[in-house]
Amino acid sequence: MKNFYRKVAFGLGPEDEVPSDPLEWAKSQLNEIPEFSWKGKILTEKELRNYYRDYVYGDRKVLRKKFKNDKEGYKREKNKLRHLTGQKFWWNLELCIRHSEALKSETPVLAKLWYFWGNHFAISEKDFLAQYTTGAYQREIIRANMNQTFEKMVQEATVAWTMIHHLDNNDNVGPKSQEAQWAKEKGRKVGVNENHARELLELHTVSPECGYTQEDVIQMAYVMSGWRPNWGKKRLETGDVHFNGEYHQPGTKRILGKKYKSGRKSLSAVITDLVNHPSCREFIAMKLCRYFITDNPTKEMMEPIIKAWEKSDGFLPDVHKAAVEVAFNYSEKYNKFQNPENWLLIMSKMSDVELVPTPKLMDLYTLGLKPTHEQRSLEYLLRELGHHPYLAKQPNGWSDVSDDWMSPELLIRRLVYAKEAYYKKNRKSQTNEFYEEMVEKNYDNPSEILKTINQQGDLSNRHVMLFNLPETLKS
Amino acid sequence: MKISRRNFLKGSATTLFLAGFNFPVLANTTKKKNLVIIMLRGGMDGLCAVPIIGDKNFEKRRKDLILDETIKLNSDFALHPKLKNFYNLWQNNLGAIVHATNIPYTKRSHFDGQNLMETGGHIPYAIKTGWLGRGMKLGELKGDGLALSLPMPLLLRGIPSNDNFYPSKKRLPRTELLQLLKSVYADKSEHDLANMMEIIANRSMMSSGGTSMSRKNSSLAYKAGLELKKINGPRVAVFEVDGFDTHAAQGGINGSHSDSLIEMDSIFKSLEKGLGNEIENTLVLTLTEFGRTIEQNGGRGTEHGYGSAIFMAGGLLKKSQVYTDWPGLKRKELFEGRDLNSTIDARSVYASAMSTVFDIDFKRIQKEVFWGDKLQDLSDKLFKI
Repeated sequence: MKNFYRKVAFGLGPEDEVPSDPLEWAKSQLNEIPEFSWKGKILTEKELRNYYRDYVYGDRKVLRKKFKNDKEGYKREKNKLRHLTGQKFWWNLELCIRHSEALKSETPVLAKLWYFWGNHFAISEKDFLAQYTTGAYQREIIRANMNQTFEKMVQEATVAWTMIHHLDNNDNVGPKSQEAQWAKEKGRKVGVNENHARELLELHTVSPECGYTQEDVIQMAYVMSGWRPNWGKKRLETGDVHFNGEYHQPGTKRILGKKYKSGRKSLSAVITDLVNHPSCREFIAMKLCRYFITDNPTKEMMEPIIKAWEKSDGFLPDVHKAAVEVAFNYSEKYNKFQNPENWLLIMSKMSDVELVPTPKLMDLYTLGLKPTHEQRSLEYLLRELGHHPYLAKQPNGWSDVSDDWMSPELLIRRLVYAKEAYYKKNRKSQTNEFYEEMVEKNYDNPSEILKTINQQGDLSNRHVMLFNLPETLKS
Repeated sequence: MKISRRNFLKGSATTLFLAGFNFPVLANTTKKKNLVIIMLRGGMDGLCAVPIIGDKNFEKRRKDLILDETIKLNSDFALHPKLKNFYNLWQNNLGAIVHATNIPYTKRSHFDGQNLMETGGHIPYAIKTGWLGRGMKLGELKGDGLALSLPMPLLLRGIPSNDNFYPSKKRLPRTELLQLLKSVYADKSEHDLANMMEIIANRSMMSSGGTSMSRKNSSLAYKAGLELKKINGPRVAVFEVDGFDTHAAQGGINGSHSDSLIEMDSIFKSLEKGLGNEIENTLVLTLTEFGRTIEQNGGRGTEHGYGSAIFMAGGLLKKSQVYTDWPGLKRKELFEGRDLNSTIDARSVYASAMSTVFDIDFKRIQKEVFWGDKLQDLSDKLFKI
């Protein structure tokens, strides 16, 4: 049962009391969205997007022209521009905020679900989104809606600037729109871009299980045409997302057999229908089970989550509580392979590793300078582990199937960074007593585990062993 | 690095796999053949790497980017002068080029294009496996793939148990600890983990005193060559080279596009060095998402285009040649009036290569890897069959 603490959260730290009612402990964390536990500076998405604007404009409109004959000069000035706009700093700050929720907050269960949703509505590696706005999008759009309905989260994520830019909806122009006509007169060709529409169906809501057709995807793209950043000469593509009727495909659209009138309101109407489709709740229930419990969820596991969804109209706290309860009920039988980031956080929490730099250190950063080694440590570490949450390779996010994480190099990283982490611990936690207590608190078979790791004489090696045992890799 | 594939295959996770089949390909042929793919990310400029000779349209539109002192390959095409290693291969009948080719993707997003170059599909993100992984599955090459990167590339998805090599900057724990973990995994019936730990333990014994190895492609390629050379080693390797997206200061011989081409060239050299004589039984191909515009832009760079070129190396090539159905560079011959057209579906080249290296009938690959798309079998034109 104690794997439940690692399954839905990150295990119990040395200061944590052992909950008398584990399930209640987990559920009680899911009602409210508390303030961030990070005590340092937190920027808004809009502020960060403006830094992105300054970078894009400076590079594209200024430097490329100025240094067209000077490769070295271009590189040098572009590098300066990177630092002037905080390109190497912001995502580190975001990771501090993110990881503090797992390690320092009263709501680690909420944090683990936050990571789930961030990955469900993934922003994958594109342009410099990761460096500027992905983290803020996950705070302001994803986390902020975790005490709302699923529908509200979809509505907001779909028209979030980062998502619109990520999935190219700015290139999605109705072929019969006013814009398409103007473009034609100028000899340019514009048309529909299906990316965002397809992912809204496939990845974010109903999934292919619902049986939509390619025509549904195109019709969905028509509905979405016109949702784009408000373009400006200086801000380029970084303006706020709005609905521009000149890009919108006129006429009635038909999606999954239902008709929608043309115009601004149609996107929201389609989303309402999508989230109420049975395939949507089945898909989300399956993904929650796959994240917490097993690579191959069963119908029985999904059932209570679907029920909670139906009863509450997709109210996320209720859906989350049902998922956590299923995870609890199946904790004896199933252990779930932990992705590298969650594994790192489990290790840091349980063994008291000072993973996150202090707010004081981060707030010392001055724009224009290269962040220090310490200020960049999280971003570097996650990349080394092969799992940077803002750099998924595809819009379907990072995999939560264990096969995809089985490779020699990825396991080597867990060995070497477990060792590194040991030396980041303070002295008082580098004792046998500390490990005995921690193992007792977090594992159902403490004597077996201690016997195994104690075959290594050196405490740092015992630490490496412990966090690479099957019991820890799979929780 | 030492990867003991046969040990790897002994793990019980694979017993099931072997039970139903005769031992694949290797047992039936004496030669072990290798396929190496180098992914060139960002859009490789085929016309910078392999410029056409004496075309006024080209010279006019790219006047600041035309290279001096190119190496003449034949009456029509020249080679970028910095590709010295490739030219060496060419002179020994170990290098060839397919020109005016691309995957069937005509839009200009890196993001979508790189997805499609790896999946081999038509709709971005619709396919979740790579064409190479599917081809390997058809050839029953489980455990035979080696990625020289940390995350497994999408290109290799579709067959499990691939290996990867991308050295950590940190020192591995002692072998004794690794062996202990391996036995714990085995005791707990965690066969996948035990297999991985076996590979890791062997690898650690080979590393020299724990000093970290270089992640440079030239260094990775040498290691990969040594592995591919082994009869029990991997049969497929995948590299990545970034930086081809040169919107500005693409420059001439010393421009930014050249830097990436030189990196690609260093892979050819190191692979050859590592492979030794086994270069004879190897085929190396490049892969990119699209070429670049013919016209230079205001920043003396180029924009995203369409047709590009494929570099090929190795002893399984038929001969040194620039294989092309040249579409011409007059405005009306260009794709959308701006890009080199693609007259050969690049997937025909990759399907033919897999057919040659994996000894699988081309039609089966066409049908099962590329959904029966209309592809040409170019095996007899490009490769030794």
